[in-house]
Amino acid sequence: MTSPDTAALAAIAPSAAIENRRDGVWITAADLDVEAMAREMTRLGFRLSTMTGLAHADGETALIYHFAAAGRTVHFKTFTRGATLPSIAPIVRAASWIEREIHDFFNVLFSGHPNLAPLLRPAELRAGFFRDAAEVPLQLTRSRTEPS
Amino acid sequence: MTYTIPIGPYHPALEEPYKVSVQCGGDTVQTVSVEVGYSFRGIELLAQRTGWVQDVTLIERVCGICSHVHTTTFCRAVETLAAIEVPARAVYIRTILCELERMHSHLLWAGLATEYIGFQSLFMEVSNLREGVMDLLESISGNRVHYGMNRIGGVNRDITDAGPIVAQLRAMGEIVKRDIVPSLMESRTAMARMRGVGVLTPAQANEWGVVGPIARASAIATDVRSDLPYLAYPELGFTIVTQPAGDVLARVSVRVLELLESIRLACEALVRLPPGPLRAFEGMPGIPPGEATAFTEAPRGEVIYYVASDGGDTPARVHIRTPSFVNIPALEAMTMGQQFGDVALIQASVDPCLSCTDR
Repeated sequence: MTSPDTAALAAIAPSAAIENRRDGVWITAADLDVEAMAREMTRLGFRLSTMTGLAHADGETALIYHFAAAGRTVHFKTFTRGATLPSIAPIVRAASWIEREIHDFFNVLFSGHPNLAPLLRPAELRAGFFRDAAEVPLQLTRSRTEPS
Repeated sequence: MTYTIPIGPYHPALEEPYKVSVQCGGDTVQTVSVEVGYSFRGIELLAQRTGWVQDVTLIERVCGICSHVHTTTFCRAVETLAAIEVPARAVYIRTILCELERMHSHLLWAGLATEYIGFQSLFMEVSNLREGVMDLLESISGNRVHYGMNRIGGVNRDITDAGPIVAQLRAMGEIVKRDIVPSLMESRTAMARMRGVGVLTPAQANEWGVVGPIARASAIATDVRSDLPYLAYPELGFTIVTQPAGDVLARVSVRVLELLESIRLACEALVRLPPGPLRAFEGMPGIPPGEATAFTEAPRGEVIYYVASDGGDTPARVHIRTPSFVNIPALEAMTMGQQFGDVALIQASVDPCLSCTDR
């Protein structure tokens, strides 16, 4: 990671904790402006590879935005606010399916998403069923569903 | 006249279940929408309820074609998290399997593509070549698919006699150069059917964030093997294959030329195979609390695994991002304005893997 990059990344999230790990740069900021981050990372030549959701017991979800460029990976971690975060799909088209999947799995509402329709979620399950499965695993795993 | 045609989720033009709804004005495609999720299995959730060792077996089932690359990426993420150093011989064996797997994936795809354009004689030739790769994989691992070679910290089986494998790979390389390259990249049949069809411009490729051969066929020189070097690739050297046109012919050409690079890489790794142990430790791994990611180049492009541990017997979270998950949505850009009769070929040129996408 060159110093101009480090400075540019630090400017995206001034209050963030920045760590250099074996698998790239990790930046954690609870108050991250994800739309500004998406715009700046695109400008810096990074491609959004994917996003990871992590369920928290209080109903919130940690979200990690994984970016890659030649020789570099950067991971931004932030948290939903009232189970909601602004969508970056209007800025980064590749985020559209990723946010739909996270909505399916963790019931995160991405405000401003152009089409937050189910992507992978079976019709008989409600949004957030990964979270549900952690809370009521037996009910989900043992109840048989019939094809509609 | 405008009309809508649903293709799929189960349709002879599709290898796996997904739905492409095409709205046409006459024969020209006006809008396209894609639906997935018909093979959803919840493997990420299952992985969080399954032990670290068993997870390697589970994750091998994400895909029947690129199974080794999934276990390689999962193991690399766990090894990064737990700071496990994999022995050099195991690193080379993983690399060899990755390249053999890329060969059989590209050959399977080339076989399907030739069938789609009605080039049956070439389909037979390509399928025959692929059988040779499957035989090699079976001779190394004991299995034609789901090789069971990876474990956290190394590999399960050794390659004891590299010589015959190198000889067979070199013979295959000659067949690829003599028959496959000219038939798919220069023959009038292939050119007439694939040139100028389903174009994805470099700007569109960047906009949709496509990866792997789809990006490289649109002149974007991206490949995890060189962008974020891993396994034995830094020592073996690596040449990215790109094509400028962004059409179906370019996607075919990238994969065919990558076959030759995979043969070279596999042969080089077999010749240089270092001595030493196959695994960093015996028995069960202890995975400390933490989180890590790993990026790997699968046959279809970049695969990412995120793994988190709370120090327990199972992962706290496993997230899998497969290349088809980002390549399939770009079908919209490739098919808009094209002839309806080309939609089946264009979608095939993406080499969509729904088993991976839905996982």
